[in-house]
Amino acid sequence: MGYMSKGLLEIHNAIIKGEITPLELVKEAVSLALNDDNNAFEYICANEALEKVKRLDDSKKDSLLYGVPIVIKDNYSTKDIPTTASSNILNGYIPIFSSEVVLRLEEQGAIVIGKAAMDELAMGGTGTTGHLGMTYNPWDKSHKRIIGGSSSGSAAAISAGITPVSIGSDTGDSVRKPASYAGLVGFKPTWGRISRHGLFPFATSLDHVAYFTRNVFDSAYLLNILAGRDDKDASSSFEKVDDYTKDLNKSIKGKKIAIIKDIVESISDKTILDSFYKTVEYLRSKGAIVDEVEMDNKLLKAIYPTYFIISSSEATSNTACLDGIKFGNRVEGKTFEEVMINTRTKGFSSRIKRRFVIGSFSLFKENQQELFVRAQKCRRMIVNAFNKVFEEYDAIYCPAAPSIAPIVGSNNNNLSNEYLIADNYLAYGNMGGYPSITVPIGFEKNMPFGANLSSKPFQESLLLNIANILEEGTELKDLVAK
Amino acid sequence: MSDFEAVIGLELHIQLNTKSKMFSSAPVTFGKVPNSSVDYYDFAFPGTMPTVNKQAVIYALMMCNALHMIIDDVLMFERKNYFYSDLPKGYQLTQEFRPIGKNGYLTIKLNDSDIKINISRLHLEEDTCKQFHTKDYSYLDYNRAGIPLIEIVSAPEIKSGTEAAKYVEKIRSIVTYLGISDGKMEQGSLRCDVNVSLKRKGDNQFGTKVEIKNLNSISNIQKAIDFEIERQSELLCSGIEIAQETRRFDESLKETVLMRAKVDNVDYKCFTDNNIPPIKLSAEFIKAAIESSPELAESKLKRYVSLGLSESDASIILDDKDIANYFEEALASGCSIKLLANWVNVNVKSFINKRNVEIKDFPIKPNELSDLILLIQNSKINNVQAKFIFEKMIETGKDAQTIVEFMGLEQISNKNQLLNIVKKVIKDNSKSISDYLKGRNRALGYLAGQVMKQTGGKANPQLVNKLLLEEIQRRK
Repeated sequence: MGYMSKGLLEIHNAIIKGEITPLELVKEAVSLALNDDNNAFEYICANEALEKVKRLDDSKKDSLLYGVPIVIKDNYSTKDIPTTASSNILNGYIPIFSSEVVLRLEEQGAIVIGKAAMDELAMGGTGTTGHLGMTYNPWDKSHKRIIGGSSSGSAAAISAGITPVSIGSDTGDSVRKPASYAGLVGFKPTWGRISRHGLFPFATSLDHVAYFTRNVFDSAYLLNILAGRDDKDASSSFEKVDDYTKDLNKSIKGKKIAIIKDIVESISDKTILDSFYKTVEYLRSKGAIVDEVEMDNKLLKAIYPTYFIISSSEATSNTACLDGIKFGNRVEGKTFEEVMINTRTKGFSSRIKRRFVIGSFSLFKENQQELFVRAQKCRRMIVNAFNKVFEEYDAIYCPAAPSIAPIVGSNNNNLSNEYLIADNYLAYGNMGGYPSITVPIGFEKNMPFGANLSSKPFQESLLLNIANILEEGTELKDLVAK
Repeated sequence: MSDFEAVIGLELHIQLNTKSKMFSSAPVTFGKVPNSSVDYYDFAFPGTMPTVNKQAVIYALMMCNALHMIIDDVLMFERKNYFYSDLPKGYQLTQEFRPIGKNGYLTIKLNDSDIKINISRLHLEEDTCKQFHTKDYSYLDYNRAGIPLIEIVSAPEIKSGTEAAKYVEKIRSIVTYLGISDGKMEQGSLRCDVNVSLKRKGDNQFGTKVEIKNLNSISNIQKAIDFEIERQSELLCSGIEIAQETRRFDESLKETVLMRAKVDNVDYKCFTDNNIPPIKLSAEFIKAAIESSPELAESKLKRYVSLGLSESDASIILDDKDIANYFEEALASGCSIKLLANWVNVNVKSFINKRNVEIKDFPIKPNELSDLILLIQNSKINNVQAKFIFEKMIETGKDAQTIVEFMGLEQISNKNQLLNIVKKVIKDNSKSISDYLKGRNRALGYLAGQVMKQTGGKANPQLVNKLLLEEIQRRK
């Protein structure tokens, strides 16, 4: 017992040595999932997983994913397995095909043991808005603290030691922020690096496949499996796929890393800042050149509203098929319009409808220039500013969040610099499509927190290299909430 | 009416006959079991994504070229968002901001003069579901959802129902000759929406626009427009303002009737689809697409006229692309273009009309018809024999030469052989000779008929006439 709180290599070695079988691994994970008290799951595939592991193709024995239980966020289409994106409107929806990510994982012998709870339709950052209620942070046994979202269940399942890896999605910071709150590695590769086919779209231009692992090596290994062109996703890249594990231990001597001064300065938490600067010193000791870089404060503050307008606008269109006629639980009416209105009124929570109102309003002809198009221009300016930093630096490094996982319901000052910048800046990675990774760097009140590294598009090898060196320094890997 | 002039703009939606759909790999089919030609994407399953059909792009480029349009070499698609039962995704992918073609034109012929009609834009998009309504239920057929469409928008400068009909006929001819659509209005593969408004002659101010939908034939387009011009001018003359509305053409009433009043224009909240990154069309790709275009009717017409065919005969042939293809193939086998046109326009067409079949089911192959005509041209057979052989060819499937040989039908063109018969006929019919000499021309026909009778219809008629006249002259 206890294999589910290890990394992929350890589990694999145990299988090779015959210490444990895939069937036993799956039984362990399923039983842990059934006993989960963090509300991490939408659906536990107990029978499906046991069936699949019995039919496992042992030609894949060399894969580190062979026989490994995994958890998939509930916004990935999974054949014959209910998929709701934690929204009532999709209750009872059972897809007839699996997303490309799931196909590639299963092809390696991974076994899906559960679908993870999330913020409704991935539109949220707290993990409290799914139709099954709040997902708890396993590090806080009092169940007062959030784990963050929207990939809340995926983060909770792995930090609670139920599976070694889990798949999430990241449109603003939906993997990289919860990773900070949960003591995990949260990685979002370049936009187009991994096929989005089968991922329920929220905001097409910002959506990324992303995932949680317990260490940087596992993130690199997963990318080897998931990266690469998929003809079903026209936006997936033809860019060559590397072996992302091979450069992990390279020296980072002479690598240039930028700290965005305004982001760090908007943070007030001393413990976080201290730990952060300790890691900076460590990176310097490894030969990296770390500089503080200035950036227009107004642009940084514009990230969140820009993200909000663009994502809400795209969301209105991406969810339009959920109208009770094509998809979505139908609520009857006298005309097709009534069916659509009734279905959508009943099916979506008020938070989602609020986003739709904002999105539609921004797209109206009379507002589009002033809101949607302006947000797109603003996005371009933000990306230009970060591109400029990347002209000189290999990576940007900042704390991933200004605090440890907040207590649910605690009030933010929504106009403070800390909220507008440090709490929401990670969306720059989605706007520019940059690869971006959060790794744990410390603890405060027994709660973990992390820092984030991002790089130029398709520089995943370099980014993972720096992240791995950082992990060696912090020695914070394979963390599981005890 | 005389105080007003009509301002008419047409929007045509044309289904492309590609193998697969615009954004999915489902086959494009017609008349198949409902919901059998569909892919996950066409049903809008959450998480499915579009991939652009290259052939549809090639077809659109061919059409842009035929309409002399400026081609945009960056391919992008927008989402046109609206909620409707026949729209699977809740948005339609279309080219709102950057149509693949713009600023083109075509010329139509009206009363022997050429009229140029400008075309504002041509863009690619996807079709919606087909709906069937019964008393209690509505049914959706997704087979149509996602079929590639090109939308062609004319400038608002068409002036009459006749011009509009000619314009649509021309577009239909171009798409069928390019082979990119079957262009069948009655089956909905070519659809036409019309905008009609009136303005005072010489005025720059446009009147209120009325839209006419559901026009299922070219003649109805013409009738609907003519009716609408009449209706609007009557209203205007009585001082009644035109309401902005959508009307449809009622075939039994032969009138346009109100469908719905148009309040404000629908706001489609268009924005660019990010699942399809902008695609750069290389100059070579565009060139190859254009060069792959088959010859259009206009160019064929010029060629036929230069070969000696009358414009009207050529136009009749070219009216139907399949018949024109048949004609083209027969022509390539070397027979006379005039004789061929005559045979195709008269005998071939009468057969396929009578049997209600299509030219592809016509039993005589183009080269076989050409061979038959060559026998006439070379005076091997006469027209009467040819008609007989033509029917035998249909009946037996044998070629002309075989039938001629088998039935001993070869025409007698041997002068001495015929002269003997002619002399005998003249000797036996002295009354007819005197009749003819008195000016009764019909008598000559009678004598020729007698010669034909004696030869079993095999005599070369021109030669018989010539010999008869010579002999009669000699006896005068």
